[in-house]
Amino acid sequence: MQPSRSTRIALLIYGIVTIVVLYLPLISVGFASISQARYLSFPIKRYSTKWYAEALQSDTVRDLLTTSLKVAVIVTVISVAAAFFGALAFARYHWKFRTLFQKLILLPIFFPQTVLGLALLMWFNAVGVIPTWKTAVVAHLVWIAPIATLIVAIRAYSFDPALEEAARDMGAGTLTILREITLPLLMPGLVSAGLFAFLLSWGNFPLSLFTTGADSTLPEWLYAKMVSGYSPLVPTLGVMSVVGSFLVIMVAFTVTWLVRAMRESRTAMD
Amino acid sequence: MDAQNILRLRNVVKDFGTFRALHGIELDIKEGEFFTIVGPSGSGKSTLIRLLVGMEELSEGEIWLRDKRIDQTPANQRPTCMVFQSLALFPHMTVGQNIEFPLKLRKEAPAARRKRALELLDLLRLPQNYYDKRISQCSGGERQRVALARALAFDPEILFFDEPLSALDYRLRKTLEKELKDLHARTGKTFVYITHSLEEAMVMSDRIAIMKEGRFEQIAVADVIYGSPVSRFVAEFMGEVNLFEVTGTPRGAPEGPGLESRLDGKAAGAGLMLAHGEAGTIMVRPEYVRFLPAGQSTDFMVRGTLVGQYALGSRIQYEVETAEGQVLTVEKLREDRFAGAEGAAVVLGFEAEHAHMIRGA
Repeated sequence: MQPSRSTRIALLIYGIVTIVVLYLPLISVGFASISQARYLSFPIKRYSTKWYAEALQSDTVRDLLTTSLKVAVIVTVISVAAAFFGALAFARYHWKFRTLFQKLILLPIFFPQTVLGLALLMWFNAVGVIPTWKTAVVAHLVWIAPIATLIVAIRAYSFDPALEEAARDMGAGTLTILREITLPLLMPGLVSAGLFAFLLSWGNFPLSLFTTGADSTLPEWLYAKMVSGYSPLVPTLGVMSVVGSFLVIMVAFTVTWLVRAMRESRTAMD
Repeated sequence: MDAQNILRLRNVVKDFGTFRALHGIELDIKEGEFFTIVGPSGSGKSTLIRLLVGMEELSEGEIWLRDKRIDQTPANQRPTCMVFQSLALFPHMTVGQNIEFPLKLRKEAPAARRKRALELLDLLRLPQNYYDKRISQCSGGERQRVALARALAFDPEILFFDEPLSALDYRLRKTLEKELKDLHARTGKTFVYITHSLEEAMVMSDRIAIMKEGRFEQIAVADVIYGSPVSRFVAEFMGEVNLFEVTGTPRGAPEGPGLESRLDGKAAGAGLMLAHGEAGTIMVRPEYVRFLPAGQSTDFMVRGTLVGQYALGSRIQYEVETAEGQVLTVEKLREDRFAGAEGAAVVLGFEAEHAHMIRGA
C-alpha cells in the first residue's frame, strides 16, 4: 500500500527532526572546537584551528590517546579471539553445560557498568592488584567479550553443521576445516564483533573511571575537565575521539573490501 | 567373502543411550551397484548412512570396504564421499572452488584442479562459465549438479546420497532422478542412496532395501519388492495396494470374507496355497484389478459399491467399498476408464497370477 501524500510529508518531517535532535549537539561540539574564544558562544566570532594545533603538541593529549588506543586494541583482539571460540560453544556444539553457559555469559551485560566497575575495583584491591590501564583492559573485557560473543553467535547460528561434516568427509582435518570453512564463514561476524569491541572500549567511561587507577583514558579526561577546569581542548578532543572511531570503521570496511577483492582476483587467477 | 562385494556390514548395531536405532544390520553391496535404502522417517536409514561415511560411531559390528575394515576409520580418512541432504555447498566459495575442494586438500596443482573441475562441469551438463559463479547465483537443480561434481572430484570408492532431491519440486526431481541413473551408468561407481520416496527408489535402483525400525524388511530388485513383498509393511510402503486376510481351507486353498475364488486348482501354480488354518494375506496391486461385466468371471472376485473416482493424470483411480466395509483401490489407464456412476454396484476381479501371498499374520 502506498502511504498518502500527507503521511509521507509527516514522515519526512519526523525524520528530519530526529536527525537534527540527534546530531545537532554533536555538530555544536564541532563548532566549539574551532572557535578561537575560550568559552563557547554563538555566533562564533572568530574561527581558529589553534586548539587542534595545541592538542597535537600536548603531551597530555598524546598520553590520553595512547592509553585509550592501547586499551581498545588489546580489548578488541582478546574479545574477538574469545568470541570466536565462545560463539562456537554457544551456538554450534552440543555439550553438557551449554544452556548454563548461554545464561552465564549474559550476566555481565545485565550489571550496570558503574556497579560492575566498582565491584571490579574492590576485587582488584582485595587481591592486591594496583589499578592501571591493564586492569581497565580486564574490566572492559568482562563487559565487552560477552557482547562480542553474542554478535558472533548470531552468525554461528545460521551455520549449517553439514558444511563442516562435508569438509571432513572429503578428507579435511580439524585445522583445515577451521581455516577453510569455519573461519571464513564466521568472518563477517568477527569483523562486526571487533568493531563493536573497539568502539565500546574506546568510548567507555564508567568502567574506566573505576579501574584505570592513575592512568586516564580520553572519556575520563573529558569528564574531569568538564567537572573542574573547562578548557577549549575539551570539544577539540571530543571531535578527535569521534574522528578516531570513524577512522577505525573506515579502516575495517576498507580491509574487508580489499580482502574480498583479493579473494575474487585469486579465484580468477587459479 | 565374496570378491565382488564392495561393502559388507556385519551385525551393525547403533545405540543412542537406551534407544537401539539399528538392530544388527547385515548387508552386502555389490561393486558398481545402485543400491537404495528406503524407509519412513525414524526407520534408521539416516543413522545407517552416517555410520557408513563415518560421522557416527557404531556400537557393535563391523563395516568392511573390500578387504579393509573401516568402521574405526575416521570420516576424513575413508575413501567414500556423501552428497548431503542440504548439499553442504560452501557458500563462501565459487562453483569452481567447491568442486576443487577435495583436490585442493590433496594438494593437486591449480592447473590440474581447474582442468578436472571443468571436465566435471561438462559431465554434469553445466556451462563452463559456471566455474566462477557464486553458489548463491545457482538454481536448486544447478546446486545439485555442483554437489555431485564435487563428490565426483573426490573420486570416492562409494558415493553416498542422503536424500539430496527431497527439497526440489516434482518436475526437477524427476529430471534429476534420470540424470543420476544415467550418471551412475556412465561413471560405473557404486552408489548408495537413501530416501523415503518409493518412486525415487524404483526409478533409479538396481536393488532396494526396505527399512523399518532399525531392521531391513526386504532387500531385492524393484520388481520383486513391488510384486512380491514379504510383509504388509513393504506392500503398503511401496504404493497403493489391496490386501485380503485369508486362511487355508482343508484342501489348502486361500479363503477370506467377501473374497470369492474360482481357482480350480490354479492356487498351487500361483504359489497361493496355505496349510489348513494357516493365516495369510493376499495382495493385488490396483492396476491388476478389473471391473467385471455381467457373466464374466476371474480367479478372484469381490462385490462392492463404487464410492469414488479420482483423476491421477494418465490414470484414473476408483474406490470400491465392500459389504465388509473394506475400501479397495482400482486403477485404470484413462483410455480404459470405467463408465460407472458413484453408488453403482460393481464386481471386481483379478487373476491368480497377479496375486501374491504374504505369509504370516
